[in-house]
Amino acid sequence: MDSKHHLISEAYQRRKKGWDKFFKGLFWLAGFISAIFIILIIVFIVRKGIGPFLPSYPGGAYPIGKFLTGFQWRQDSAIYGVAFIVINTIISALGALLISFPISVLTALFITKIAPRSLSRIMTTIVELLAAIPSVVYGVFAAGVIVRWVDSLAAMAGFSTYGGNSLLAVSILLAIMVFPTMTSLAIVAINAVPRELVEGSLALGATTTQTNFRVVLTSAKSGIFAGLILGLGRAFGEATAVSMVAGNSMIGPTFNPFNITRTLTSTMLAGLKETQGLDYDIRFSVGIILMAVILVTNLGIHFVKDRIGRSMS
Amino acid sequence: MKTFEIKDLNLWYGDFHALKDIDMDIRNNKVSAFIGPSGCGKSTFLRVLNRMNDLIDGTKITGQVLFNGQEIYAPESDVVTLRTKVGMVFQKPNPFPMSVYDNVAYGLRVQGIKNKAVLNDTVEDSLKKAALWEEVKDRLSDNALQLSGGQQQRLCIARAIALSPEVILMDEPTSALDPIATGKIEELMESLKKDYTIAIVTLSMQQAARISDYTAFFLLGDLIEMGPTREVFHKPNDKRTEDYITGRFG
Ligand SMILES: Nc1ncnc2c1ncn2[C@@H]1O[C@H](COP(=O)(O)OP(=O)(O)OP(=O)(O)O)[C@@H](O)[C@H]1O
Ligand SMILES: [Mg+2]
Repeated sequence: MDSKHHLISEAYQRRKKGWDKFFKGLFWLAGFISAIFIILIIVFIVRKGIGPFLPSYPGGAYPIGKFLTGFQWRQDSAIYGVAFIVINTIISALGALLISFPISVLTALFITKIAPRSLSRIMTTIVELLAAIPSVVYGVFAAGVIVRWVDSLAAMAGFSTYGGNSLLAVSILLAIMVFPTMTSLAIVAINAVPRELVEGSLALGATTTQTNFRVVLTSAKSGIFAGLILGLGRAFGEATAVSMVAGNSMIGPTFNPFNITRTLTSTMLAGLKETQGLDYDIRFSVGIILMAVILVTNLGIHFVKDRIGRSMS
Repeated sequence: MKTFEIKDLNLWYGDFHALKDIDMDIRNNKVSAFIGPSGCGKSTFLRVLNRMNDLIDGTKITGQVLFNGQEIYAPESDVVTLRTKVGMVFQKPNPFPMSVYDNVAYGLRVQGIKNKAVLNDTVEDSLKKAALWEEVKDRLSDNALQLSGGQQQRLCIARAIALSPEVILMDEPTSALDPIATGKIEELMESLKKDYTIAIVTLSMQQAARISDYTAFFLLGDLIEMGPTREVFHKPNDKRTEDYITGRFG
């Protein structure tokens, strides 16, 4: 018996191909449905958000130039300028990353490379749990605890605050909130670094610390940056908790960390339920701006990442 | 002259006795080949020599491993210094995801050497010794992962040479390579012998016969015999060596 071909049934081959077609179709369908949903959401927000600037808007169009370049947001006198809010949003998110990114990466290194196995398992679980805590809980923590830290810090620095509500409180809050995401992704990325590279480095007389910083982190770069982008997305997009400590300033931008601030999300959320008309609709315009900011910063990070990749290679 | 003198070496991975009562001398400026069937402990033994097994939890080592007369497992012995003198090339090429240049300069940089001229000279010199310079001199800033497998392996050799070690350990350095690349690396070993002591693990009898001065045959954690390659291949002392070499088991 030199061939098993007579055992292979034609009918089975046909069934196999049928199933293959069926599952391919299913994947296409799933992809199609999610694409449709995303497009629907974007179309809805863009249509609602552009509305206030069109001549057909009831009560007259709001000048789009004033919206895009304005440095005041006053519901009481119907002045809606979003420029300073964009700046505030970027500042608070970058502040959060500045605090959180190094801590996340070092924590991930500690968990993967330094901590004894039992401790590292406990810490991994904690990080995963942190990621699962709803944002309102972080918000309550921020409104109850972080604002007090900020207030005492401000007092030491000779500033006064509005009960601790401030840019700094927002950044600290966001730093805590993006920490689990960034740490988890960094852990995954570091664990994926081939053992051979670590051995190669040690075999050249590098210490463990040198190996961690020069080889492990370099090799895990992509994953770490993915975490950075997700973290940034969360920092930009977080509304509930941020609204609880931002203070919602009416003018800006806010550069003093002890001053109140206003982010795109807090603007969209604050008083959403009690309002209507232009004040309601223009929040969708803010939503468009938020999506644009996220898109542009992601592109920016990719650009930076490529630059770093090239300069390291 | 003996670079390494190993006496009564035993090694356990947990409960598993991987190396048993090994006595061996490794002579300087010679190529010593370690042969034996898969799983007999060749890699383990090689990794004893630069203390690579330290990284594996649960390994236990007893006996003596003298490098230039100094016990490398003594508490006061410094593993980082040891590894700058005893370089290693791995079975699978493992260049770092950095430029060709940075790969070769890595060993020097982690010793704190920053002088640009020294680095440039060393990189060029090492790549020349590794017979890779002509192929990469115009792409020193390319990512090393863009090189072919054989080029990557020679890059790893260059990387090891850059530190001017006394010994180069090679664990099946050509097992992932085609015959041409293999030939290049074998030539390379021949020329490196002048300056370095080489210990190589190989699964290929022909390779051991071609390139080595001494051959050691391992079986199930035992060192069955070691001697000048011609003797081991032509009139082995042990029946088991003969059987392995003539292909009757393995
Ligand atoms: N980290 C480890 N933990 C436990 N056992 C190990 C470990 N590494 C190797 N061993 C065992 O030790 C023995 C020797 O392994 P080693 O890798 O030294 O063999 P080898 O001779 O190099 O084989 P090959 O030719 O297949 O590479 C094997 O039985 C292997 O299963
Ligand atoms: Mg091996």
